Amino acid sequence: MQQNAQPSGSPTLTSVPAISTANLTRRFGELVAVNDVNLRVAPGQFFGFLGPNGAGKSTTIKMLTGLLAPTSGRIEILGLDFAERTSEVKRQIGVVPEGLALFGRLTGAEYLTFVGRMYGLDRETTAKRSAELLEFMQLANEPRKLVTDYSHGMQKKLALAAAVIHGPKILFLDEPFEGVDAIAAGTLKSMLQRMIARGATIFLTSHVLEIVERLCSHVAIIDRGVLVAQGSLEELRAGVEAQAPGTLEAEPGRKLTLEEIFLHTVGGVRSTELELSWLG
Amino acid sequence: MVGVTASNYSRAQLAAIASVRWQIFLHSLRSKRGAVELFSRIVIGAVITGGGLGGAILLGGLAWYFVSQGNPEALALVLWPVFLFWQMFPLMATALSESIDSTNLLRFPLSYRTYVMVRLVYGALDPATVLGTFWLVGITIGIGWARPGLMPWSFVVLVVFAAVNMMLTQMIFAWVERWLGQRRTREIFAVLFFLAMISLQLIGPMLSRYGDRSNAAFHWAGRFANPIQAILPPGIAAGAVASKAVSHTALAFGLLGALVLYAAVILRILSVRLHAQFRGENLSEVVGRGKDEVSRPGVRLAWKMPGLSQEAAAVVEKEFRYLSRSGPVLLTFVTPIVMLFVFGLGGRTGSGAGFLQNWPELGLPVGAAYALLLLTNLIYNNFGPDAGGIQFFLVSPASFRSVMLGKNVAHMGVLAVELVSLWIGVSLLFRPPTATAVLITLSGLLFAAPVNLAAGNLLSLYSPKKTEFGTFGRQRASQTTVLASFAIQGLVFVVAAVTLLTARHYQRQWLAVAAFFMLATLAFGVYFFVLTRVDRLAGRRREILTTALCK
Repeated sequence: MQQNAQPSGSPTLTSVPAISTANLTRRFGELVAVNDVNLRVAPGQFFGFLGPNGAGKSTTIKMLTGLLAPTSGRIEILGLDFAERTSEVKRQIGVVPEGLALFGRLTGAEYLTFVGRMYGLDRETTAKRSAELLEFMQLANEPRKLVTDYSHGMQKKLALAAAVIHGPKILFLDEPFEGVDAIAAGTLKSMLQRMIARGATIFLTSHVLEIVERLCSHVAIIDRGVLVAQGSLEELRAGVEAQAPGTLEAEPGRKLTLEEIFLHTVGGVRSTELELSWLG
Repeated sequence: MVGVTASNYSRAQLAAIASVRWQIFLHSLRSKRGAVELFSRIVIGAVITGGGLGGAILLGGLAWYFVSQGNPEALALVLWPVFLFWQMFPLMATALSESIDSTNLLRFPLSYRTYVMVRLVYGALDPATVLGTFWLVGITIGIGWARPGLMPWSFVVLVVFAAVNMMLTQMIFAWVERWLGQRRTREIFAVLFFLAMISLQLIGPMLSRYGDRSNAAFHWAGRFANPIQAILPPGIAAGAVASKAVSHTALAFGLLGALVLYAAVILRILSVRLHAQFRGENLSEVVGRGKDEVSRPGVRLAWKMPGLSQEAAAVVEKEFRYLSRSGPVLLTFVTPIVMLFVFGLGGRTGSGAGFLQNWPELGLPVGAAYALLLLTNLIYNNFGPDAGGIQFFLVSPASFRSVMLGKNVAHMGVLAVELVSLWIGVSLLFRPPTATAVLITLSGLLFAAPVNLAAGNLLSLYSPKKTEFGTFGRQRASQTTVLASFAIQGLVFVVAAVTLLTARHYQRQWLAVAAFFMLATLAFGVYFFVLTRVDRLAGRRREILTTALCK
């Protein structure tokens, strides 16, 4: 089932896409983890990339950020070919990878200073932005604390601060809300919404569909390595309703939730429908 | 639970753990890296076996000599070195010893007994245990060769002695791990440990220098030490064999009982630690809030390093910050100075003198070579301490060339500081090194350093391994790296030795300097050749880098 639901003539298609892939494929031996994926993310979109476990989300985001080489296909970021203009592309993007990419034996300020310099910021700008980011993320209270001693939520906030210190045009976030408490999540969301308001593009993967539904304007769903749906939430909703009229029981006046769209799209079977004979 | 009985629980769990380890091993062979790692393990295993056999023959010969000469109580002289090696090696050679992180097992319903068994079995695979066992087998054969009738008894005694050693190693490591669990105590402990090491190494030179004057005190200490050693495990084991040799069977059994008691006490103390781990103890790294809440210094400006790109300078700064917070690593940097001090402490001159007293011109070059050798632990696994930070290098726009260059500059900065310290040390202890000695040292380093850096940059990309600077037992490089470093050090040593001997033969020391400069030109060529290719290599190996360093 392919629901590339973007209507032709959409204004986002006429401009240079923030992210576009052509036949992006990644094989691990016999396994095709990502198969001929054609993504298109317009500038300024808050884009959610969803899929069941093992569907190829992390593999795709790793390829989009340079952590993994594609087996074949092409990636363009802001119209630049990633393979040919790697360094230029990397200057335009910020990344919070799955492992957070922190250096444990630095303090938060030292880490941000290091990152700022690696992205080519001058010393004064780096120091100024680092101080502001530490304040904003509420990490300035314990300046001597090493990153390794940070709580998981603090580490996530620091990783996000590091990803935005150079003012990227596109931000890639792999499961940014996983293991984060409500307070830290609030800080992260506030930061992301500010970035969107300033015209940045955000590409995130998450298992928390409620958050994606609340934050993202556009969504793509990948299943078993294949992109099965892509478009705005409204477009996906319309697509599902058109494909299976009457099969999804939404109360009159209530819209289908993203979870319902997701489950319908990936053909998910709820575990309650299955039985484990030995579990009683 | 249906289908599970308590009686077959432990056995099934142990079998499952062994099976999982075996499957992990088999899966590791699927990759080329895993196969190379296996090959390296076999080679290193052969070297350890060689050392074990050599030691076994030597110690077996000594045991044979003592027993055949009717002096079996002197077996303590062979058992003490075995005991000390068994206990000290895992702490001193942390690159070859690995502590076990068994916390993953705790989520399963393992019985405490099974957990202890797993820990002990893992501990038995340590190189110190393998070598110690070889040597005890040699000693047993030596005793049996001299007096066949004594062999079965010696076998029993030495098996118990081996068990004591094995459990004591585990106990020491478990407690050291406990103390190292927190950064502050870890670093305090590292300093204490290092001071203890220095003290031990000072005994020989001190005796050599002050031995004549303190003969009486030395003999008094000997008389005092002998009864003490006799009630410690090596002394008891030797006593048990010696008593049986003179047919004092009751005493022999009594001493064997004492050895078993030692084993029980050690197991009990080890058990305290293991039980805490078994209950899910989590050693926190969290430090007290203290002053941090009140003082909020602004963010300092990054370092400025003329001549280096901004990215490379940032890496140099980061490396120095990392090193400055890694107690055990910092302490290895001062070891060359300490060694200089130790070797310089011999008698004045002549046969009783330390070798540097007789050849003080070797102080600087030997110290410099030793400093470079110690640095290879860092150079050959550049990204090991960065662990998950490798992902940052992969997603950042900075080239790997800049990153490697920054790391290399930082490591050479450490070497430069060490050289200056060595120069001061040699000047104070002996006399200021001659201009020729300085020139030979510098030219030799100009050759050896780029060779090691080039090899290190390649090995860092080809066989990376996550390491923890602050923990004694988690700095182990990959087996491939260890093997390759042996080969490279051997090559550099042979080339340097040939150069120096040739210059000495022709009595033209400038010849060595000239030859080293020529070799240095070649070495720098190789270094820059590798450096220009690290970006492509890192790009190709990014998956391996993230897999090895982020897990």
